Amino acid sequence: MELYQLTAEKLSAMLAARECSSEEVTRSVLSRMEQKEPEIAAYVTICGEEALKQAAEIDARRAAGEALHPLAGIPIGIKDNICTRGVRTTCSSRMLENFVPPYDAFVMEKLNAAGAVMLGKLNMDEFAMGSSTETSYFQKTRNPFDLERVPGGSSGGSAAAVAAGEAVLALGSDTGGSIRQPAAYCGIVGLKPTYSSVSRYGLVAFASSLDQIGPMGRSVRDVAMLYGAICGRDNHDATSALREYPDFAKEITPDIKGLRIGLPKEYFGEGVSAEVRDAVMKMAKELEAQGAELVEISLPSTDYALSAYYIIASAEASSNLARFDGVKYGYRAKDFANLTEMYEKTRSEGFGAEVKRRIMLGTYVLSSGYYDAYYKKAKFTQLRIQQEFAAAFDKCDLLLTPTVPDTAFKLGENIDDQIKMYMNDILTVTVNIAGLPGMSLPCGFDSKPMPIGAQLIGPKFSESTLFRAASCWEKTLGGFDLSRTLA
Amino acid sequence: MSINIKHLASLSRLTFTPEEEEKFEKEMANIVALVEKLPDLDASGALIDPDNPMQLRSDEVANKPNRDELLQNAPEVQAGCIVVPKVIE
Repeated sequence: MELYQLTAEKLSAMLAARECSSEEVTRSVLSRMEQKEPEIAAYVTICGEEALKQAAEIDARRAAGEALHPLAGIPIGIKDNICTRGVRTTCSSRMLENFVPPYDAFVMEKLNAAGAVMLGKLNMDEFAMGSSTETSYFQKTRNPFDLERVPGGSSGGSAAAVAAGEAVLALGSDTGGSIRQPAAYCGIVGLKPTYSSVSRYGLVAFASSLDQIGPMGRSVRDVAMLYGAICGRDNHDATSALREYPDFAKEITPDIKGLRIGLPKEYFGEGVSAEVRDAVMKMAKELEAQGAELVEISLPSTDYALSAYYIIASAEASSNLARFDGVKYGYRAKDFANLTEMYEKTRSEGFGAEVKRRIMLGTYVLSSGYYDAYYKKAKFTQLRIQQEFAAAFDKCDLLLTPTVPDTAFKLGENIDDQIKMYMNDILTVTVNIAGLPGMSLPCGFDSKPMPIGAQLIGPKFSESTLFRAASCWEKTLGGFDLSRTLA
Repeated sequence: MSINIKHLASLSRLTFTPEEEEKFEKEMANIVALVEKLPDLDASGALIDPDNPMQLRSDEVANKPNRDELLQNAPEVQAGCIVVPKVIE
């Protein structure tokens, strides 16, 4: 067993028992990156030297007898839309190719304080807009299970790195499924936390009312550990919730006796592949055998969720991305006659096609005469979806659904068909619209054989219940099978 | 459904070549057709979560001495100032 193959939980115990050093762990992951990056291309920026320096510092502190955080000395990759002071943060866009943040995101302050080792910045769809990581300005990341296939997106670099052993843990961000869909495609665990539980300070904004940073890892406990390290109140984010959080990793018990698991029929309907549906139903039956109670649920407005999502997300994106004007930071075009031309050329040369489509759609739905027909209707639909979830959670404790209708598709397969690409998000967007926590976890393989993802959805701030159910499933399987990608 | 791409591009401060414009017009028509599917809801109520209200921080002056780090990101700098094209004719 190589160190890069181990979970954060195991490494943390080994580090505490002095069975290995953080420098050894970091070296193991860095050499794994050297071996795998030519084919996977998960990282936009690698911070090898800095990582080794951070690791050595942690080792010295440990040697001096200091009490350290469980994540101290654990190598972590960070999605490239999370600001890291002194390390360029590109959003995989030409617009921010040379942007070096003058401050750390709140989650980075927390991770630095915990002593986590930052390996580098992970590739993504440009400005987190996409479901395959193919809209990155820099490179196409490949799925470690099959190099011909996409890792999903937008946190595709994060998912691929964790699955391939190029990071022990990673942070992603999720606006409509961008943590859960790539986690499903790459056979790992990914959590989109309850909106407002993780500060968005320092996350480059896409759709502020939906965006949330979240953890990705190879086991449920690893994801719980990282979530516990990044959640919490931050004065720099006005939407950040005022509450105390438990020690999620510590309190996990894989016991689901009496837990009511809802199966919303709309999530198992047309468009969902038979293999995916069967795998998730098999999981439901297994959880029932472990003592859970299965409840049939209906969420009738699910059909409208994708429309509402693309309207709200694009509207907010068109407003958020207005800041990229070539004035204070980011790309500026070279030749222009006046200020307006500078704006137009800068934005036309700095943004890729998908980002332009979203800005145009957002501008359209917010423009005079169309606002009531689109944005207002979408917001009312959002309210209806929230109400339906609330009613569902009177009948059950959490919901179980597929994460994505199918497994990972091939590179280039959907890149010219936006509608097919957007349909990838159909089972995940509702969770963002309702502000709920959602987690994707592996539930077997299809005949390709590519990993299938199952999604657990709970009421706001019910992460502990999600971890409990997920760890029960993990225990039933005897752990998630990443032998193909970690070899 | 006709979408005035030129007008939207101008509002968005984007420019397109005629070929791009044609492609965008088709793509936008498809996307708008996808998102148009919304119910007529006679909804009321606020989209604010009463259990988890927002709390603004107090408006206090804070000193963040990272001027050099800020300026190193500017496309053009002269004498500690960001250079922009002439704004007033």
